[in-house]
Amino acid sequence: MEKKSIWKFGTREVVFAAIGAALYAVLTYALNFLQMPGTGNVTIRPAIVIPMFFGIAFGPVVGFITGFIGNILADLLSGYGFWFWWDLGNGIVGLIPGLFSAMIVDFKAGKSILWAELSVLLGSGLGMGLAALSERWVSGADMNTVLLANFLPAFLTDIANGLVLLPLLMVAFASVVHRSGRG
Amino acid sequence: MLVTWNYRYRNSPMDRIDPRARWIFSFAFLFSVTQTWNPLLLGLFFASALVWYSLGRTTWKETRRGWMLISIMLFSMIIVNTIITGGGAGGVVPEGGRLVWPEGFRLFGWQVNYGLTVERLWFAVSQLMRILGISLLFILIPYTMDSRAYGATFSKLGLPDRLAYVIELSFRFIPSLARSLSITLDAQRARAFELDQIKGGIVKKIGRIAPLLIPLTMNAILSSEDIANAMDLRGFGQRKRTWLYQLSYHWWDWVLIVFSALMLIGTTVLVQRFGMGPFAVPDWWYSLFSG
Repeated sequence: MEKKSIWKFGTREVVFAAIGAALYAVLTYALNFLQMPGTGNVTIRPAIVIPMFFGIAFGPVVGFITGFIGNILADLLSGYGFWFWWDLGNGIVGLIPGLFSAMIVDFKAGKSILWAELSVLLGSGLGMGLAALSERWVSGADMNTVLLANFLPAFLTDIANGLVLLPLLMVAFASVVHRSGRG
Repeated sequence: MLVTWNYRYRNSPMDRIDPRARWIFSFAFLFSVTQTWNPLLLGLFFASALVWYSLGRTTWKETRRGWMLISIMLFSMIIVNTIITGGGAGGVVPEGGRLVWPEGFRLFGWQVNYGLTVERLWFAVSQLMRILGISLLFILIPYTMDSRAYGATFSKLGLPDRLAYVIELSFRFIPSLARSLSITLDAQRARAFELDQIKGGIVKKIGRIAPLLIPLTMNAILSSEDIANAMDLRGFGQRKRTWLYQLSYHWWDWVLIVFSALMLIGTTVLVQRFGMGPFAVPDWWYSLFSG
């Protein structure tokens, strides 16, 4: 498969970013009822794998837009309002895997999957870290609150979703690319 | 699955304000209010947020879901972290202070010595004004801003056409993807796929989503290739894009934009030059707890 510049943003990338954002929003909205066992209001949010996967498959710009706009759309659908820093955090969750996309040639190779899993850890850490830290600035929360109430629930669910679902999507995508002859 | 937008035309004052002016005001408010803990400024910001919210003419029934989320956030940040544990006040409220109950109080026959200070209690009020003020502005957006306006609004605000078109396109994809989700879910249910009552731990729950997630994502990617080809054939991105949804400023939009700029500049000057940024407790608040 021929590798292109990861920063390219042509017509295909516009459509992939739009479809990724819409997919992320619809899945988040539809699967909101899945709650983490033992918590009051933390949803499992398996849809977070969508920006990660679109980042890995189509580059950092597509990954970022999928997470950023997808989160805005999901909040608009749910009626939760507009939370810029959390939208930005979700964008970073898609952007960081996108930076690894240049290293991934064969989507079902073990090494590619390892890179992708590493990108999940980094992306979730940075993205949710930034969003949680914004609460210090916006709400005046202290570091303990930021860490325990904001960062950890979001980070842990994001990496659990990414680590489990991203390899499955990558293997499925490899088959689709192989079968359809598209890349 | 039915996916609908929360927006409807209400013939409200908010419906007459240009979306660009609304975004400019909302962000100016966010960057102004987060600069200060001064009681006077926070009170003014909170009052203006209440006025702004009332312009939307939304009902409790419509916005209930969003307010539930905000209530949970306010409860954990203010009641749990600031009032009960005191952790949330760290870094803003100085150590020490005057106790609300210096002698403690009796609860069900037990003597309770609770170290809540007057300063910490005021910080909880300040947090409430700040977070609720921001929430009042931003929770209104899904209910009062037409979904057709987003692409044109951000394009006119200076976002590159391609990015603005991503917003426009993603709005259009949502109904068809929601339909695909329903079809995929029904097809998998016919194969005994169970989504509603998944038992087990978090990893098991996540794994069980795969039969729904994978076909939906792969179908979406395959169909988007065809859409991209069709767009290329029609010369997408070759010249400046025009928008079907037309926006036009009125005099009141310009008033709002000027007000937003003055609010941001004024707050910055008051905070930087006149020291109105740090946390402070008004005297009248102390007098409530004296004696």
